[in-house]
Amino acid sequence: MTTERPPASGSEFNRRNLIKLSGLGLAAVPGLAACGRGFGGGGDDESGDGVTLNMVWWGDAKRAEKTQAALDIFTEANPDITIKVEYQDSGPYQDKLATRFAANDAPDLMAMRMDSLREYADRGALLDLNEYGDDIDLSGLSENAANLAEVDGSVFGVPAGLNAVGFVIRKDFAEQYGVAVPDGNTWSWDDLAAFAQAISDASGQEVYGTGYDVQTLQNLVVWVRQQGEDLFTEDGKLGVSAATMQAWFELADGMRQSGAYPPAGFFEEIGGSPDQSYIAQGKLASQIIPTNNFLGYNEACGGNLVLLRIPGEAQAVRRGQSVDCPHLWSVAAASKHPKEAVKLLDFLTNDPEASLATGTTRGVPASTAVAEEIKDSLEPDDLVATEYLMGLQGEDLPRSYTYPPGGSAIADFLDVIAVEVEFGRQSAADGAAQFISEATAAIEG
Amino acid sequence: MSTESAVMPGAVDPPAPQANDRRRRVRKDRAGYLFLLPWFIGMLFTVVPFFASLYLAFTDYNLLNAPKWIGLENFADMFRDPVLLKSLQVTFVYTFVSVPLSLAAALGVAMILNRGIRGLPWYRAVFYLPSLLGASVAVVLLWRYVFGFDGIVNAFLGWFGVDAISWTSDPDYALTTLIILHIWTFGSPMVIFLAGLRQIPTMYYEAAAVDGASKWRRFRSITLPLLSPIIFFNLIQSLIASFQTFTQGFVMNNGGGGPANSTLFYNLYLYQQGFGQFNMGYASAMAWTLLVIIAVFTAITFLSAKYWVNYDN
Repeated sequence: MTTERPPASGSEFNRRNLIKLSGLGLAAVPGLAACGRGFGGGGDDESGDGVTLNMVWWGDAKRAEKTQAALDIFTEANPDITIKVEYQDSGPYQDKLATRFAANDAPDLMAMRMDSLREYADRGALLDLNEYGDDIDLSGLSENAANLAEVDGSVFGVPAGLNAVGFVIRKDFAEQYGVAVPDGNTWSWDDLAAFAQAISDASGQEVYGTGYDVQTLQNLVVWVRQQGEDLFTEDGKLGVSAATMQAWFELADGMRQSGAYPPAGFFEEIGGSPDQSYIAQGKLASQIIPTNNFLGYNEACGGNLVLLRIPGEAQAVRRGQSVDCPHLWSVAAASKHPKEAVKLLDFLTNDPEASLATGTTRGVPASTAVAEEIKDSLEPDDLVATEYLMGLQGEDLPRSYTYPPGGSAIADFLDVIAVEVEFGRQSAADGAAQFISEATAAIEG
Repeated sequence: MSTESAVMPGAVDPPAPQANDRRRRVRKDRAGYLFLLPWFIGMLFTVVPFFASLYLAFTDYNLLNAPKWIGLENFADMFRDPVLLKSLQVTFVYTFVSVPLSLAAALGVAMILNRGIRGLPWYRAVFYLPSLLGASVAVVLLWRYVFGFDGIVNAFLGWFGVDAISWTSDPDYALTTLIILHIWTFGSPMVIFLAGLRQIPTMYYEAAAVDGASKWRRFRSITLPLLSPIIFFNLIQSLIASFQTFTQGFVMNNGGGGPANSTLFYNLYLYQQGFGQFNMGYASAMAWTLLVIIAVFTAITFLSAKYWVNYDN
């Protein structure tokens, strides 16, 4: 197209010209094609008698490096096994994994999200590790850890590591504004509110005292357990009461009204890395994080973080905190090489060499003996997180139960309702009632 | 669009023996089919999933177990699904607000550019650029910063004493922000309008000017009627694309359609159902329903065409 044109012989609009134009229109739709990336292709044998395992997980390049280091040790000792690793971000990972199962192309060993476990396991897609008792030793796991992937006596995965949630506080802000950092073992939710209020007031709301995710299930779970209830009960039902949900919404709402907690709309989708977080930007003085991220957050905050327990543990009806895992390792029931896949899983779980290589990128090693053994070689920040978790491990915590099928939809409901309440478009009581009815329907439907 | 197409080879060549003629035609056809080949191959990858999804729409299919025939149950469920209705509402509001506005913006800019300014190719490229980038992840991310709580827009509004607005995280504003983004990507209809405007013979305007017609009158009585086929074309294209919006909602709120489902486009919910909740049968039923919705609106537009689209001279 140039500015020159043939002399117009009157208006030339007709259907043929329009069809030509449509080429232009189509060229302007880049569409979804740019979104695809990541793993595909099978995990079949490529060499003669050797075995090729396909292992998939989510994470970043740093985690990939550490994982590969561990796998190298394994393949050196087992030269007949080749491992084809594929990894990507967690969002696309979920989609790809489901599609691969649908295409009968399941990977041998895979990272499995806690809230997806039963969606796969109940449909017979995962290997019951109890049937491979000779190939993998799960006796080293603490009871808390072993329970995580157990469904009706079958074990469908091994925690890739253990973590918990913890409250981090920036001690430089506490000092700057002359507020004492509370004692993490004994502090209550009222202490949190008082601390946060003092920071917000002293800083003129330049820094908000606290801001944790109301819509994150892991945070809610602690609160629910503290009230003596379970979010999900042993028989896979919704166990939380409307009153508990309402109190959870009101807790943040009360602090929001008083300025201890940021106003509605303050939190935007800014990406999940510690560097981008509000606490690292200096806009928040405290928040809840998964403990395996403590190293990353503390680095992003210039080493100014202290790790506390979740408030209320000392005052509540019962302990709320639990030992969780960032993800499980599961083996596909359809794997052509289940023995080898289980063997690799055993190596990752029980061999200290493997955990030395991976560090705590996926949390503290699930085997208590391994965790003790690698403790001395950890970086100081990882040691803080590890000791925090091992402390919890040693305590008598009420058992937590796996997400029932349909449980992953609950996170979506909670996300919507939390925002409705945050912006005052719905009262805390109405939000709680809606959550109960929607979550119940999702689990039973 | 040159004059070459008007020269028919057969008309210029001397009459040839029939056999020769046929061979040449076969050869010409073969070239045509060769050019079509990539499309045929690509179509296989479309046609098979296309019919598979039609089948899946009548099944309960969770990706892991074999599909189970359930007849029309998926379609019945759709009427009882409040989130689906919400996603329809989001998609309709988005389409019916942003399509007319972006077409108006496209036409407006095209008319300004049509006034024989210097450096036209450059301006055209600049205005076209956003539509190449608009649906891309990078631009939506950039947009998030522009409209962020500490972003440029709030800083600008701050000069006029307007309180900061959470453009992307307030459920009352998030969709508006995406509509503004859509209007900004008016480039491709604009280029088409511009081409159309340049086809309108200037003599009509000259004659109208001699008759003393005002600018507005000339726009209404000459530009709009003569441009109506182009408007029609742009309208259909934009409508179809808008009903299928996905990326903006996906990227703006990390795949969730949040805040509070205020940017949960129909296609985004379809994707969540299929890949998030493993309800692939339901997602397939949704896809076919969207096809029907789009077909209905396209048909309405086509039917209305005879009242306002002007094809003759």
